[in-house]
Amino acid sequence: MKTIRICHLYGNLLNTYGDNGNLLMIQYYAKKKGYQVDTKIVSLDDDFNAADYDIVFFGGGQDFEQKIIAKNSQRLKNELESYIENNGVMLAICGGYQLLGEYYVTAKGEKINALGILPLYTERQINSRFIGDIEIYDEINNQTYVGFENHNGVTHLTGDLQPLGKVIKGNGNNGQDQTEGLHYKNVFCSYFHGPLLVRNIWLAEHLIDLTIKKLN
Amino acid sequence: MTFKSNFAINAGRFVLWGLTTFTRGGSSLPGKIATTIDPNVLEALTKNYKVVVITGTNGKTLTTALTVQTLKQKYPQVLTNPTGSNMQQGIVSTFLTAPKLKDGEQGIAVLEVDEGSLKHVVNALKPALFVHTNVFRDQMDRYGEIYSIYELMADAAKAVPNATVLANADSPLFNSIDLPNPREYFGFDHKVDHDVELHYNTDGILCPHCHNILSYHNLTYANLGKYYCKHCDFKRPKLNYAINKIEELTLTHSTFEIEGHSFTIPVAGLYNIYNALAAYSVARFLDVEPNDIREGFKQAERVFGRQEIININGKKVLLNLVKNPVGLNQVIELVGLEKNPFMLVSILNNQYADGTDVSWIWDGHYEQMVNFPINETVVGGMKADEMKLRLTVAGIPEETITQLNSMNDIIEAIENSSEEHVHILATYTAMLELRKILQEKNHL
Repeated sequence: MKTIRICHLYGNLLNTYGDNGNLLMIQYYAKKKGYQVDTKIVSLDDDFNAADYDIVFFGGGQDFEQKIIAKNSQRLKNELESYIENNGVMLAICGGYQLLGEYYVTAKGEKINALGILPLYTERQINSRFIGDIEIYDEINNQTYVGFENHNGVTHLTGDLQPLGKVIKGNGNNGQDQTEGLHYKNVFCSYFHGPLLVRNIWLAEHLIDLTIKKLN
Repeated sequence: MTFKSNFAINAGRFVLWGLTTFTRGGSSLPGKIATTIDPNVLEALTKNYKVVVITGTNGKTLTTALTVQTLKQKYPQVLTNPTGSNMQQGIVSTFLTAPKLKDGEQGIAVLEVDEGSLKHVVNALKPALFVHTNVFRDQMDRYGEIYSIYELMADAAKAVPNATVLANADSPLFNSIDLPNPREYFGFDHKVDHDVELHYNTDGILCPHCHNILSYHNLTYANLGKYYCKHCDFKRPKLNYAINKIEELTLTHSTFEIEGHSFTIPVAGLYNIYNALAAYSVARFLDVEPNDIREGFKQAERVFGRQEIININGKKVLLNLVKNPVGLNQVIELVGLEKNPFMLVSILNNQYADGTDVSWIWDGHYEQMVNFPINETVVGGMKADEMKLRLTVAGIPEETITQLNSMNDIIEAIENSSEEHVHILATYTAMLELRKILQEKNHL
């Protein structure tokens, strides 16, 4: 039986909001589709090799942990960029999503340099958060996604970067341009909690299908 | 006492009398009225009390209850607030209900205080002792990150620098901020040092000094234990009070040893031993002898919704409230002590009081339940669908899970089950609804 190799990026630190459920869903559907899974956590003292993994999950966490990871992950930038550009499948939620961009500003106003792999940046709201149910429409796949958002960060996509979907209800990336998340090659990013893959089964299966396609 | 505070107190007491006489009482309205008349009324009310404040994410209620029972063995006047009244107005109401102290008499007040409310009451209360039970992530849509919660607790301690801070030594967070207060610590010391591997989905495992991942010589649960940093000298402080031995952990009680003395509490779960240890530490701080503490512990009752034992048509039903990942995981461990085949009932609501976002169930270790002797599984509540999916993904066979839409149906399923043992895990509003119907049906 073939194995799907999962990288849980900083999984022992970016693990605060039930996003582990996304990992559980990835494992669940991989097994349902007849594959074994091998999950590895790549954290503060570990290396990341693009060739070692078939799917990467990058979750969200608290400010303190995220800041430490912003610094620590710089050494992994080249391999992560290579993984992404070679159509590696990746799901990045909340903090993980922010970390793929140029920079983000913490709730306390500190500007933190991020990985700079994708052209996006995140500013903060003052004494405000986007909290509540959210619904978006993914034009490319003709799918509607539902979830729960809870973020202080406002993210702006630049260049040709496409969102994951258009906001039907809720705030999305920044509450202004009706975009939510992003979709670039096989990278899917979102602020959705829920978790995303639990509330949106089609997307969960789609990610596994993409992973299987690339594997074969 | 000023005229204004006198008036405020009398007004509050009058409202309280009215409520108690004409309704079933129990509200923070008296406190609200008194505070409106005189915002400083709490200071006047607490003047002759030695105050112990108990705060933290989990364990406030039981720690407070155990502490009160032990102190009552020695002190005549021990005041405490009901668990639903742990915010400012509830605390004021508590003092309004207190029997008047005689001239020159000093009372003791043991108060459970919500972390977010500390700043509103700490200056008036001027506690002699703060007890920090633990800090874990609770509903993030309301309570925020563990670091900001602890900051609230630290700020309250700093506001009363003479107060002693009695903290759970096993929490790395409680050693992360320097405080001017005298400090005492309680923790577990029941196992020989060994290497521990943490579950990857554990919060709060970074060294606050050098930002590396902490190591542990011993782990009790979540991120609690004998931690140390391999990269710097950050480590668990020395224990003033310790659990030296765990003698018995069953579904109905726990027996353990502190400083050579054996104690039993009539509730299950390792996490409750922490609560007992905290209560023991407060009691020793206030000069209560171990024999009196032992007596006090025996008086502890199963508190509403926490390991409540209910008899439904002869079946032994254990009801547990679940509200956040760490608490849920401790309840799962507790259910794991069940040796008999049982029916599992999991009821998930997401009203405001339950936490509107149910993502937290995906941080629960339901996977552990696959090896439990579960013969029947029922899910219910507003988010029954998702509860079913969670259990399915955890490895409970989908065809064995029954989804029921109403609380009545759930109770009927329990009544008609062929299982003699039932374990119910319910979120807050589901618990309230369930208990209401159980009362109507005379099961409670």
